[in-house]
Amino acid sequence: MKTATPATDAALAKDPRLKLIAAKIKKENYKPDALIEILHTAQNAYGYLPMSVLKYITKQLHLPPSRVYSTVTFYHFFSLKSKGDHTCLVCTGTACYVKGAQAILNEIENQFSLEPGQVSADNKLGISVARCIGACGLAPAVVLDDEVLAKATAEEIVNKINAKIVES
Amino acid sequence: MPKIAVTIDDKKLDVDAGKTILEICRENGIEILTMCHLKGLTDVGACRLCLVEIEGINKLLSACTTKIAANMVIKTQTEKIKRYQNITCELFYAERNHVCSVCVANGKCDLQKLGYKTEMDHIRYPYLFPQCNVDTSHAWYVLDHNRCIMCTRCVRVCAEVEGAHNWNVMNRGNKVRIISDFDTPWGESETCTSCGKCVHACPTGAIWPKAIVQGQLEKKPEMITELIEKRKMNL
Ligand code: SF4
Ligand code: SF4
Ligand code: FES
Ligand code: FES
Repeated sequence: MKTATPATDAALAKDPRLKLIAAKIKKENYKPDALIEILHTAQNAYGYLPMSVLKYITKQLHLPPSRVYSTVTFYHFFSLKSKGDHTCLVCTGTACYVKGAQAILNEIENQFSLEPGQVSADNKLGISVARCIGACGLAPAVVLDDEVLAKATAEEIVNKINAKIVES
Repeated sequence: MPKIAVTIDDKKLDVDAGKTILEICRENGIEILTMCHLKGLTDVGACRLCLVEIEGINKLLSACTTKIAANMVIKTQTEKIKRYQNITCELFYAERNHVCSVCVANGKCDLQKLGYKTEMDHIRYPYLFPQCNVDTSHAWYVLDHNRCIMCTRCVRVCAEVEGAHNWNVMNRGNKVRIISDFDTPWGESETCTSCGKCVHACPTGAIWPKAIVQGQLEKKPEMITELIEKRKMNL
């Protein structure tokens, strides 16, 4: 059974990161052997591996849940806990790169001293990158927590991040 | 099966090619200590007890995962092997919390038997006293991580014989633990069929049925071997 359940369809429609994972799974032809590659995509997209995403991948690849969990806990690259209260994912796919993703990342680094993959010392902010989240029309695209920000500018992103951090 | 000549403990033998050193030794009545081996399951060489010395190879190899080869000269009972087996046995006891007097497997436990076999009289390593859970969520069985030696016999029997894949291993180093599903309580597992095979495969008091009293545990791992062999017969 390779079709998504209704619940995941709804989630898919809402969450571009899940779409990214779905695309990766399809590209790997639902091969169980591609588990690690798919987990990489998920880890990069979310900054960690939420249980709901693990369950989704497990179902799609028809793997025993314990196999997936075993793999995730074996490699230090994967993490099961959120990397920061707020996460900012900057798409560095071709379209977004061309439209200035690097400038956004540079400004984030200037303002918050965080590089992709890092979390602030107070755990309030985590930065990650992904290769094309499938929203090239919106380039450069940034996902701040669950919100997709289209045609983002560095200044706008920094302001929004600041607002999030103050709010929490 | 073609025959090959080997020497084990100074005895010349004509044995089947293609088998493991452990299989050959067992067939010829040569005793080899094992923990993670259960006849019929895939051998993984996890416990490091079945070590043998082979002439021309300067490290000890596990008999369960090493195939016999022509003209091998094998020794199974050297001082070096015994020393390593003693260390391994002591490390098992030091790694988790083995308190035999209050364990369901007391008197019926393969780890205890190993302690007697290696004549363990003290443990030279500091005990780690790790914090270990006891999962009692399953209706019939208990998994007590305090008694687990990570032999993975439960993992393999569940995957290879039952086909349910409930068990696996999480983390690494001394944080490794047996898990069901997504480290889900056993009773909430979506894959466990409650067949009880892991109960019989487990060599210690780590997995046991609830309906027994302390010291009354009766495990029949040979039942699993028999099942595997019967399945291979084309009836
Ligand atoms: S599992 Fe075996 S060695 Fe461990 S406490 Fe129980 S009887 Fe003792
Ligand atoms: S629970 Fe038992 S069978 Fe499973 S790894 Fe631990 S000791 Fe071995
Ligand atoms: S490159 Fe960023 S959405 Fe496609
Ligand atoms: S029986 Fe060979 S390593 Fe455990």
